[in-house]
Amino acid sequence: MADLVLSPGPAQAGAPRVPGNKGIWAGITCEFIEFLVLFIVYFVARSHFPEEFRQGSTHLSPWAGTVITLVMISSSLCIAASVASIRAGRRRVSFYWLLAGLVVALGYPLAKYLEFRWNMAHGIHGDSGIFFTVYYYLTINHLVHAFWGILGIGWVLVRHYFGAYSAEDYSGLEALACYWHATDIIWLTIFPFFYVLA
Amino acid sequence: MKPLYVVWLLLSGLTLLSVALGQGFHSANWLPLLVAAIVWVKGWLVSRYFIETQLATPFIRRLVALFIAFAPLALVITGFFGASIARWTALFIG
Repeated sequence: MADLVLSPGPAQAGAPRVPGNKGIWAGITCEFIEFLVLFIVYFVARSHFPEEFRQGSTHLSPWAGTVITLVMISSSLCIAASVASIRAGRRRVSFYWLLAGLVVALGYPLAKYLEFRWNMAHGIHGDSGIFFTVYYYLTINHLVHAFWGILGIGWVLVRHYFGAYSAEDYSGLEALACYWHATDIIWLTIFPFFYVLA
Repeated sequence: MKPLYVVWLLLSGLTLLSVALGQGFHSANWLPLLVAAIVWVKGWLVSRYFIETQLATPFIRRLVALFIAFAPLALVITGFFGASIARWTALFIG
C-alpha cells in the first residue's frame, strides 16, 4: 500500500500536463456542460417547488444513494491505484487494481436496478411529481454516462492485459481514469440533491 | 501527498456524515450550507488526489474547479434567494 500515492513521472514533474489525453478532456468538458445545464434545471425546479423538494427525498431510499456513492468512490480508488501502480512500473498490480475497479463499478448499475425496483414497488414513478421527474432525469442520465465509463474500463482492461500500457506510456489508462473520476465528481454532486437535502 | 486510501476514507466518512445530517437535521436551515461545503470538499479531494488537477494545464484546472464550485454556490444562492430565482425564471418560462 506504500506506493498508493499518485505522483507524476520525472519527465512530467513541474510542467503543466494533460492527464490522459486531449480527446478525453474534450469529452469531459462536454459532460460537465451537460450536467451544469441539468443542475440549473434542478435548482430552478427546486426554487419553484420548494415544498415538493423538501418532501421528496423522504420518499427515496437513503441506503441506495449511500451504497451507490460508496461504490463510485471505491471504484475511483481502485482506478487511481491502477494508474499509480503503472507509473511505478508494476503492470500486474496495475491490471488487478483496474479489474477490481471494474468489478466494484458494476455494483452501480446493480444498485440502481434494485433502487428503481424498490421505487416502483412504492409507487415512485417519473410522473409522481416534479421532484421525482427531476430525480429520474438526472440519475438515469448519470447512469448512462457511468455505463459508458464501465464500457471504457472494460476496453482499457483488455488493452492492459495485452500489454498496451507501461510506465513510459499509460495515457490511455489515465484518460479512462480521468473520465471515471469526472463521472464520480458528478455523482458526488447529485447524491445530496436527492438523498440528503430535504 | 496523502495516500489514496486515506482520501477514500475521507470521502466515505463525509458521505456517511452527509446521510446522518440529512436524516437527523432535515429541517434545519443551515443544512444546505453545510451540505454545500461537504460537496465542495469531496469534489476537491477527487480533483486534487485522483485527477491531480494541480499538475494539469490551466484550462483543465479551471474547468474542474468551476464545475466543483457550481453546485455548492447554487445551493447557497437558492437557499437565500430561492423565491427571487423562482420569480425571475418564471419570466422566461412564461
